[in-house]
Amino acid sequence: MIRNFFIYFIVLILGVVFFASMVLFAIPALQDSTVALVGLSAKSTSSDSEATDKSAIIKEINKLQKKLDDYTPTNGYMVVNTTENHFYLYKGKQLLRDGICSTGKNEKLISAERNYSHEFYTPFGVRKVLRKSPNPVWKKPDWAYIEDGLPIPGPNDPSRWETGTLGAYKLEIGDGYMIHGTIYKRRMGMSVTHGCIRLLDDDLEAVYKTMEVGSKVYIY
Amino acid sequence: MKESSTEDFDSLFVTEEDKRGRKYIVLIIVFFFLGIASIYAYLSVSAVRGQMQVVIDRAADSPAVNSSLFSELKQKAWLESRLKMASLDSVGMSIDLEQHIIQLELKGVVVMSSKIRDCSVSGFFKKIDGNVYFETFGKPLAIKEFKSSIAKNRFKVVEAPKDTIEAQKAADAAFLKEKEAKKNENVYWTVKLDKGFDLDIQGIDSIAEAQKKYEFGKDFEFERDLKNIANSFQHILKFSKPTYTPEILISIPENEAKAILMALPKTNALITIKI
Repeated sequence: MIRNFFIYFIVLILGVVFFASMVLFAIPALQDSTVALVGLSAKSTSSDSEATDKSAIIKEINKLQKKLDDYTPTNGYMVVNTTENHFYLYKGKQLLRDGICSTGKNEKLISAERNYSHEFYTPFGVRKVLRKSPNPVWKKPDWAYIEDGLPIPGPNDPSRWETGTLGAYKLEIGDGYMIHGTIYKRRMGMSVTHGCIRLLDDDLEAVYKTMEVGSKVYIY
Repeated sequence: MKESSTEDFDSLFVTEEDKRGRKYIVLIIVFFFLGIASIYAYLSVSAVRGQMQVVIDRAADSPAVNSSLFSELKQKAWLESRLKMASLDSVGMSIDLEQHIIQLELKGVVVMSSKIRDCSVSGFFKKIDGNVYFETFGKPLAIKEFKSSIAKNRFKVVEAPKDTIEAQKAADAAFLKEKEAKKNENVYWTVKLDKGFDLDIQGIDSIAEAQKKYEFGKDFEFERDLKNIANSFQHILKFSKPTYTPEILISIPENEAKAILMALPKTNALITIKI
């Protein structure tokens, strides 16, 4: 009686296993193979003037490739990977230098008490160097005080002006965003800035010397 | 011993009526499963063919393609598609499965390029040729939906500190958190494309960890696969074709998989594919 039941049970189990393997493996494999699509095809022809067609298409390909290549600046430009906090300095297709940087911390600072909020992130897209200068002086904005838990001074208070914080050079890329140096070297390679791109001293110097006003910065 | 067992076996199936009844029930159940599996197989294959027919119908009005010039025309379409993507201000992705390269492009400039480590493409795509290929891949594909194992947008809201001591504590905590975030993560993301395809990107740093990551991907997709099976069964019960979504699975280094995910815009992101 027990053996009887056992045989029925085994047959049932085999049936279920077969079914499950069909559903989970065999049928999906069949769907993903080209066997399922036998007999279906696209429209295609053969042409007598094949040689002429081919040379015309190759000409067009070269034209399109040139058009695409023309997008790459011939002068210095910079690419910034904000996920990896890594920058690349190019001239045309040649990589001149690369290294770590620090970018925006993707944070929204809010102060209900002071009715204030500010977002810190490095914007993606293409920007241009609008101005560049050595020995930059930083005028601390309100958020710098709020973030440090300090009272906000008047708009032209002398305590707002800081030298050395931005390093030896700055390159402005619009909307208050800059490429500059840092005194916080320990935090390089991390997403810790208020949106600016921080570089190490040597890298900053190379970038400053290579990039002109109008040079492009590609940020992603 | 053997004789006796044969006897027992026969007695189970042949002699007594009730036992015969049980045998039939088992056989009916087995045949039922076989029948369902066959119907499922038939409808699943019909779904693939139906999906291909949709793609072929979409290309019905486009001119026939000279098969001997297919590779040149493909290269032309690839460049045209990338040029279209270059006209936008946001980052786009180009995938060249012939050269095994995946790239991020911004305004026509390649800002990131990664070698594809491994790739698996549904047989569906291998059958796309002629005018159907150009109808499908001749223009950039738009991403309709993202799903990822890591947060795509890690924007956090922080309450301003009350004084300098609290500010210092917050800064130190943020520093430690940022260091922690650098630790290894399983990166797997999938997107739905407007032409009805899925693109899955999985981060793999070494061949040794490929199996582990593959398992992770399977777990990540488990819910989706389960939904697909459930959906298929619902269709089987109605004797209608289940939906079929062809897939492209690409494995690239983990940091690059992550960077691409973060770089692509949440809406209107474009992808150009060459198969």
